[in-house]
Amino acid sequence: MLGLLLAADEPAPVLGIFWADATVAAFVATVLFALMVWYLIARARSGLKIPEVRKLPGLDAFDEAIGRATEMGRPVHYSPGISAVSSTQTIASFGILGHVAKLCAKYDTRLIQTNADITTYGVAEEVIRQAYLEAGRPDAFNAEDVRFLSDWQFGYASGVLGIFQREKPAANICIGAFWAEALLFMEAGVNQGMIQVAGTANNAQLPFFVATADYALIAEEIYAASAYLSKEPVMLGTVVAEDWARIIVFALIIVGTILSFFQQKNWLGGILKK
Amino acid sequence: MRKEVPMIITALSALAAVFGNFFWLGHHWGVMDLLDNWFNRSFAFAALIGVINLSIIHINAIRRRKENWVYSLILLIAMYGYAILGLIQTTDGPQASWIYNNVLTPLDSTVFALLAFYITSASYRAFRARTVEATVLLVTAIVVMLGVAPIGAVLFTDKISSLAQWLLNYANAGTYRAFSIAGSLGAMATALRITLGLERAHLGGAQ
Repeated sequence: MLGLLLAADEPAPVLGIFWADATVAAFVATVLFALMVWYLIARARSGLKIPEVRKLPGLDAFDEAIGRATEMGRPVHYSPGISAVSSTQTIASFGILGHVAKLCAKYDTRLIQTNADITTYGVAEEVIRQAYLEAGRPDAFNAEDVRFLSDWQFGYASGVLGIFQREKPAANICIGAFWAEALLFMEAGVNQGMIQVAGTANNAQLPFFVATADYALIAEEIYAASAYLSKEPVMLGTVVAEDWARIIVFALIIVGTILSFFQQKNWLGGILKK
Repeated sequence: MRKEVPMIITALSALAAVFGNFFWLGHHWGVMDLLDNWFNRSFAFAALIGVINLSIIHINAIRRRKENWVYSLILLIAMYGYAILGLIQTTDGPQASWIYNNVLTPLDSTVFALLAFYITSASYRAFRARTVEATVLLVTAIVVMLGVAPIGAVLFTDKISSLAQWLLNYANAGTYRAFSIAGSLGAMATALRITLGLERAHLGGAQ
């Protein structure tokens, strides 16, 4: 295998089989992380106890938001952000969308789901249709409530604001990759008295969500959502692996800071190149 | 088989992406370019589905004479009209360019400009000093705003600019990177769950 990987011509591979210097540390980190995930999955599958995952208030808020919409007899709006289906944030959002759709089907509450990307539209429709089927309410699914509005950022924002104005949702859930349109949705939601749950891993938009949403999911919380909501030990094991990796990264930052203080700046690169 | 086949395709694509991103031979063979090309072609095909969805919703709105159905008519005329114009003279044609530059761009800028007002109202709510955290946020925001605005240096000398830069370069950048690291680890865990077939929500239904 190594011979095959080295068998091609110029340019010469860096550090043996890797194509660039920076990929070595990334590959080592990925493999270590995958091993941790594999260990915790194996542990959960064999029935051994895995550490508990802390409570995430933002994820427990969906019942409250949908419950309130049900009481008011008004719809719930859900946006998965404006990224394509290739974004991990969008994929994470679908895990939450399935849960939200199931709750809406259970409570017989109308769910309006809007899309800014063509690729998310088809997937979202299937996720919602399947959720209604699993909830035993396939008849309640309305394909016209899953909408592609525009792939133009502010065209999509205008479309969502129009829906807020015309159809007056009581709850607004925005989970996924958002940019400047995020605040337009959230402020309009505040002005209309909606209960709002929002989350993103786009750091620049997080302050806007924290300032305007009733419940905000911060960065990695949206990735942990589907595992948290499923309550399956195997899925929760991967969230615990995230926490372990975070502890390791924190320790590396402390060690790096100390070594950097003593002027050994490229210590990790030096170790890996040996 | 409805879920198994997509799961197998996903796992194989993920392995190909690892091969293309990390290994020299994968890079040399252009594996990532190939995957990107496939995605772009799928995207082009999916665009048709979006147009069909928009058409169904708005044609039904017109047929049933729903409230504000006139806007649905305007949307359909604009969408199909611009598509036909683009097919006749390409998007660089004189009329197509005129519509783009004089209708679409100003409309886009108008919606973007709304942000200025929304940022002000959101800031007002966030900065109300009702708790210790909100007070810290308020004081920090005032220092940063005065530090980056010319009036700050006039009123409080250059020291306010230095303090604002320190807050941005150390307090803000450190926290920002902490979120980035945590977010990246979360994305990696999600990618692994998808590759291993544990995360199946995107294939339909709740977990």
